[in-house]
Amino acid sequence: MPKIPVDKLEPNMKLSKPVMNKDGIVLLGEDTELTEAVIEKLKMLNVLSVDVEGALKPDIPIENALLELDKRFEKVEHEPYMDIIKSALKAHIKGLYG
Amino acid sequence: MDKLKPEVFRYKITNIDALPTLPRTLKHLLKLLEKPNVSLTEIGEFVSNDPVIAAKVLKMVNSAIYGFSGRISSVKQAVILLGMNVVKGMLLGISIFELMQETMVGLWEHSIGCSVAARIIAQKRGFKETEEISVSALLHDIGKVVLILQYPDRYEYAMKKTQDRGVVIGMAEEEVFPANHAEAGSWITEKWRFPKVLTETIRYHHKPHLSKTFLYEASIVSLADVLVRARGFGFAGDMLVPSVKSDVWERLEMTEADLRDIFREMEYSMADADMLAFE
Repeated sequence: MPKIPVDKLEPNMKLSKPVMNKDGIVLLGEDTELTEAVIEKLKMLNVLSVDVEGALKPDIPIENALLELDKRFEKVEHEPYMDIIKSALKAHIKGLYG
Repeated sequence: MDKLKPEVFRYKITNIDALPTLPRTLKHLLKLLEKPNVSLTEIGEFVSNDPVIAAKVLKMVNSAIYGFSGRISSVKQAVILLGMNVVKGMLLGISIFELMQETMVGLWEHSIGCSVAARIIAQKRGFKETEEISVSALLHDIGKVVLILQYPDRYEYAMKKTQDRGVVIGMAEEEVFPANHAEAGSWITEKWRFPKVLTETIRYHHKPHLSKTFLYEASIVSLADVLVRARGFGFAGDMLVPSVKSDVWERLEMTEADLRDIFREMEYSMADADMLAFE
């Protein structure tokens, strides 16, 4: 699964998934807050990338993202099943903002 | 706008490789694809002559899009794990979409998004091997590229129609061409000897119920297309979300939770797609 490359990590970021070595041993648990020292350690261990909370947060404010969603669905909202797709998307987008 | 003769149109589409403006590497690749039983050695030679393409293929197979993260280190290995048709499809996608970055910005992102969505839907529907569906989705709009390359002015006119009248691009195409991108895409992929699962999925991705042999595959790509547009990823010729076909929805039986899984993985993969972007 996709992630943030270790050289882009910054202190205070929080892990959204544990970091494991290739034998599956947990090096850092979920929710660990990264520090300079931890990031250095990850580099030394040749970890390439990790999952970080809010890593997928879009650049635009959530209000705009939801407005754009409404606009895209304007014409098809009442077609069969489109409400399910829209509702899943709405929940998805909200989730991106944490 | 005067009508095109269907037989001339078809000839021009299926002989796109004769277009003088095509880059030499693409022509070379198209010639290879036309050969029956192209060998791994020939593909290997083609790729090793073009390190940029080789690097992109490896990035792609190792990205979240195909899910072999970091495990494939050579094109040969990719062929063994994914099959020749899938690697051929990726080479074609990478080489041909690069030409599109000015005419239809965002078509590549749209295609990658569909590829990911199609893979996950296929997995959820119990398909064991999802690579061919994934590559069908990657190439489903290849007809648009060929139409634009051969008839740039007409295509621009079609795109203007979608804006002025709010119709989807496929319908606008049918008003200015004897056939739409789905049909055009199936003609050329047939010529380039892609297997039936690809050519038929491409042909019927807007009308899956017409596909006799690959009903599920075509339905999957059709739903993937709706979902990617609904999420607002990329650009496929118009800004509209088409509504999902009832038969497609009922056939695939996705729950709201399934959809959220698909959107989540798509999101991750789109972050990966950045690195596959063309410079």
